[in-house]
Amino acid sequence: MPNKALSGRVAVAGVGTSRYGKLPEYDAYDLGVWALKEALTDCGLGFEAIDGLIVNRIPDYQRFGEITGLNPRYTTITPGQGRFSGICIQTAVAVIAAGMAETVALVYGNNGRSAGDHYGGASDAYGSGGAGLWFPYGMTSPGAFHALMMRRHMEQYGTKPEQLGAVAMAFRRHASLNPDAVMRTPFTIEEYLAARFICEPLRLLDYCLINDGGVAMILTTAERARNLRKPPVYIRGFAQAAEFAGSTFPPEDFWRVPLKRVADEVYAMADTRPADMDALMIYDNFTPTVLFSLEGFGFCPVGESGPWVADGKLQLGGAFPTNTSGGHLSESYMQGWALNVEAVRQLRGECGARQVVGAELIQYMTAAPVITSMIYGKDPG
Amino acid sequence: MSYDKPLPPDDAANRPFRDGAKRGALMLQRCLDCGRHRFPAGRYCAACRGERSEWVASSGAGVIESFCTFHKAYWPGFEREIPYDVVQVRLDEGVRLFSNLVGVPRERIRSGMRVRARFEPVTPEVTLVKFEEAK
Repeated sequence: MPNKALSGRVAVAGVGTSRYGKLPEYDAYDLGVWALKEALTDCGLGFEAIDGLIVNRIPDYQRFGEITGLNPRYTTITPGQGRFSGICIQTAVAVIAAGMAETVALVYGNNGRSAGDHYGGASDAYGSGGAGLWFPYGMTSPGAFHALMMRRHMEQYGTKPEQLGAVAMAFRRHASLNPDAVMRTPFTIEEYLAARFICEPLRLLDYCLINDGGVAMILTTAERARNLRKPPVYIRGFAQAAEFAGSTFPPEDFWRVPLKRVADEVYAMADTRPADMDALMIYDNFTPTVLFSLEGFGFCPVGESGPWVADGKLQLGGAFPTNTSGGHLSESYMQGWALNVEAVRQLRGECGARQVVGAELIQYMTAAPVITSMIYGKDPG
Repeated sequence: MSYDKPLPPDDAANRPFRDGAKRGALMLQRCLDCGRHRFPAGRYCAACRGERSEWVASSGAGVIESFCTFHKAYWPGFEREIPYDVVQVRLDEGVRLFSNLVGVPRERIRSGMRVRARFEPVTPEVTLVKFEEAK
């Protein structure tokens, strides 16, 4: 059951990001500290104000606290998988609501580009860890997992490569308006279709980037946030559902059942509907995930996401501007974190050329074996 | 040339699968409490959490649920194979496997195609379980 009493009680007070790209002189800790300093400056707080610490992808929480001189009341650490950005933010809300901490710093650092991370081959750690059994057949990588899902979607519903291309093109167009984005040169549908296949039916431009960077968010009570430097962005709704059974293999229903469960809960908690959203931030590890998310959250009927995205709905100026920063495909692969930051910056009106005019409600969503969604509001509701 | 593709991990729990493949049998673990088949091996049944199990031979018959084509080689041994196909098969016993389909041109591969297991020795110790179209 959604806890309506928590709607609007916790707010994002500060956000911070490092530069993105190839930053070999910074390790994951350094990138996290960089972002955290930015987030604290953003809200006008000092390190001494942090009494809760949640770190993600940074290797060790104790080391992180040691190098930043933090002695929080509450600490946790989570695995470096993108689904955990949403989980961490929800945990922070619960921790604050429970009074276990008042001001939680969420810190993410990713030096995957400089560390030479690979998402396939012998180091493949996607999913539940049984990947090695399938390496002899050449099966590996999260990209292949999503290629298998997309093939079924194409066969069942007639979804076309050009429709995936529309998603990738929209996000790149947004990135071209974002000075912080790693990939800023727009491409045409012909260029999309001419990009090499990595795992067919997915092409290079269907895949997220691999780059270095850090992101931090400061969450606190709505009351405290109102006295800080920037206008609060309120967490109006949040929900989560996992589907682990059989999850070495792609879900037959494109995660439709757990997505629906999360959708029902998050919209009820925020007292909103999909049509109320002024912009969307959709976890785009690969373009198909965007389609599955839109269907699962009820933005379009099941199976119709392909034609639905093809006429510009996801672009700035469209019905639901999506991943206005460029997302993982074109801005930066910050595993959900930077999309949550983009939601905050949009609601504050800080996005310059890519600003969604008058944005009041923005939804974040991840479709994965753990599904999360948050609805952010300019007002507490 | 020696075999240069990855080999399956030789863990004790899955040894009956490995040994079965060498003699041409697709072996699955079966829960003695609820009767469900499973692979890879586990101490407990994910459906009923029962601990009692046996290994039984699968019919080897199944259906292709999806497939994808790798254009990037993640191991040197696959470089000469690209583009190559991986199929997602659901055995009639309900167990899923990733594997390769032998003898079917790419343009004929379809989800829903009935397939059956075939056994391909690749080293003296290891036989891979691949699939061919069921006639």
